Amino acid sequence: MRALRVARRYGDVEALAPTDLELLSGETVALVGPNGAGKSTLLAILAGAIEPSEGSVETHARVGWVPQRPAHYGRLSARENLELFAQLEGVRGPAHAAAQMLERFALPTAARPSAELSVGNRQRLNVAIALLGEPRVLLLDEPTAALDPGQRRRVWEVADALRAEGGAVCFATQNLEEIEHAGRVIVLQDGRVVSLAVEEVFG
Amino acid sequence: MTAAWLILRKDLRVLLRSPLLLGALVAYPVVIAILVGLVAGYASSKPRVAFVDEDNLPSVVSVAGHRFHLQTVIDDVAKQVTLVRLGPAEAARELADGKVVATITVPPGFLGDLETTVVSPHLVLKTGSGGLAPRVTQQMQALVYQLNQQLQAGYITANLEFVQLLLHGGKGHFLGRNFDVLGLARTQQELAQMPSTERVAAIEHFVQQARVGLAQTGSALRATANPISLTQAKSHGRTWLLSAQVQSYGIAVTVTFLALLLAAGATAAERDEGTIGRLRRGLVSLGELVSAKVALAALVGVVLGLAIVVVFGIVVEVGGVTGGEPWARLPLLLAGVLLAAAAVGAAGALLGALAREARTASLVAVLVVLPVVFLGLVPRGAFAAAYWISLFLPFAHAVRLFGAALYDSSPWHTVAIEAVWLLGIGAVFWVLARLGARTLSA
Repeated sequence: MRALRVARRYGDVEALAPTDLELLSGETVALVGPNGAGKSTLLAILAGAIEPSEGSVETHARVGWVPQRPAHYGRLSARENLELFAQLEGVRGPAHAAAQMLERFALPTAARPSAELSVGNRQRLNVAIALLGEPRVLLLDEPTAALDPGQRRRVWEVADALRAEGGAVCFATQNLEEIEHAGRVIVLQDGRVVSLAVEEVFG
Repeated sequence: MTAAWLILRKDLRVLLRSPLLLGALVAYPVVIAILVGLVAGYASSKPRVAFVDEDNLPSVVSVAGHRFHLQTVIDDVAKQVTLVRLGPAEAARELADGKVVATITVPPGFLGDLETTVVSPHLVLKTGSGGLAPRVTQQMQALVYQLNQQLQAGYITANLEFVQLLLHGGKGHFLGRNFDVLGLARTQQELAQMPSTERVAAIEHFVQQARVGLAQTGSALRATANPISLTQAKSHGRTWLLSAQVQSYGIAVTVTFLALLLAAGATAAERDEGTIGRLRRGLVSLGELVSAKVALAALVGVVLGLAIVVVFGIVVEVGGVTGGEPWARLPLLLAGVLLAAAAVGAAGALLGALAREARTASLVAVLVVLPVVFLGLVPRGAFAAAYWISLFLPFAHAVRLFGAALYDSSPWHTVAIEAVWLLGIGAVFWVLARLGARTLSA
């Protein structure tokens, strides 16, 4: 996946200055920076969730995106959400794929609206939906923010497994301990990639 | 399965799981039908009219030798209005308070004048300023017309008795005086016994002419009294409650309200749920997303439209009224509802995209829907600008299409024109919604 001078502006506000980024097979990249640094914007542009104001993104693989805020339909159960997104992803056997994800992420199988799930369960559902299309590139926006240590470990196991299979992972975080999962760290500040040490941007 | 269909199916599932919203959707047509019924009940209820009898009318009066059952005439009037017998002061007070919409007074001496057959007695009608006053005035005019019709027969008979007296002679009675009349026939006999002179011959000629002329008096009097008579045939036509206008407006208001709200809320909800980002990653195009919301509005609109049409149809069947095509035109009407709901749904999707938040979208939709409806209600002659604006909104076209589909004997011309309008308006709103939806994930 390659981003060529992608930028995003909201009126006069520049959320992301023109940025280049390349994700290679078998690597994990961490986007680090304080709030408002442009990490989520860059990931959303890479995922195709928002259009860049300028620049372009080239992708040669299926992409999975875990947005910072869980994105699923609150009135549908976890299973229904998974089945729906599996169908939209064009997955063969959406019911089977959904059942697999429910088991893999230990999600409740009851027909309970997903809005009523715990924060941790919602975040795991968020990750599970992103993996439905069997992506080769996984974009994670602070994926472990609401998870307990066990659940965090499970998420990183998924990411590490994908990388080990030749996929690529790019994640945004403010948790400096998670940088150890990355082979490369990109530091952002005020919407720009900066050549600073991680500790410097967090003051 | 297409992405739009998957989103539509999801929205329907979400809708069915929203008990409050679903309840409102089911209750809405029922509430509309009840409200229309209440309004109609008020409109068709009998106005209360005070009957002030200051002449103590008997139930039967005799005029020119004819007996009239006044009570029967009053009972006939009571089929149209509720007559309440009151004293003059009480009637005046109730009229001032609005408890009665009119007072009809029989003044003292009414019967005496009537019995003379030479003086026209007066009934005094006083009405309030309410909306029912013109209706009551018309009904009282009809009452006087009915009374006059019955009295005319008696008056003519009485007048003809005098004519017969003039023709054949005899004893008569008028204004309390008795008299003896020679009569033209007897005059002619008397003249025949007189010596034949030129003057007698002239008088005989006059008498002859007068007898011929007076013999035609009966027909002439009847024709003069009733130059044109009205023959009334009873039918079971529709009341205004079941009229084309009420039914068309009922469906159009319901469809406009719900389609706009539903499409606006469902579109904005994609942002509220955070799912728009996922969908935009190539899973669903913006065109498919807008189409799914339009389809949702159209589908729900058709179901609710059908519910209202069925309620109206059942009322029409049970009431045994005629006019319109409650069942035969159902497919045409539902096609119109589908089109109108889709056009309104496209406008709703635009609102939802611009509002970007379900709560704001719903509020804006409610605020927008009322002016849209009222603009469609303003007659062209009343305020031309409102008419021209409503021309570019779906409501007025939907009303005309529904009315034509249900009641016109040849609906195709109107249906085609309004369908083209709705298609055009819907297409414009769809394009605008498609453009507006780009801001949803921004």
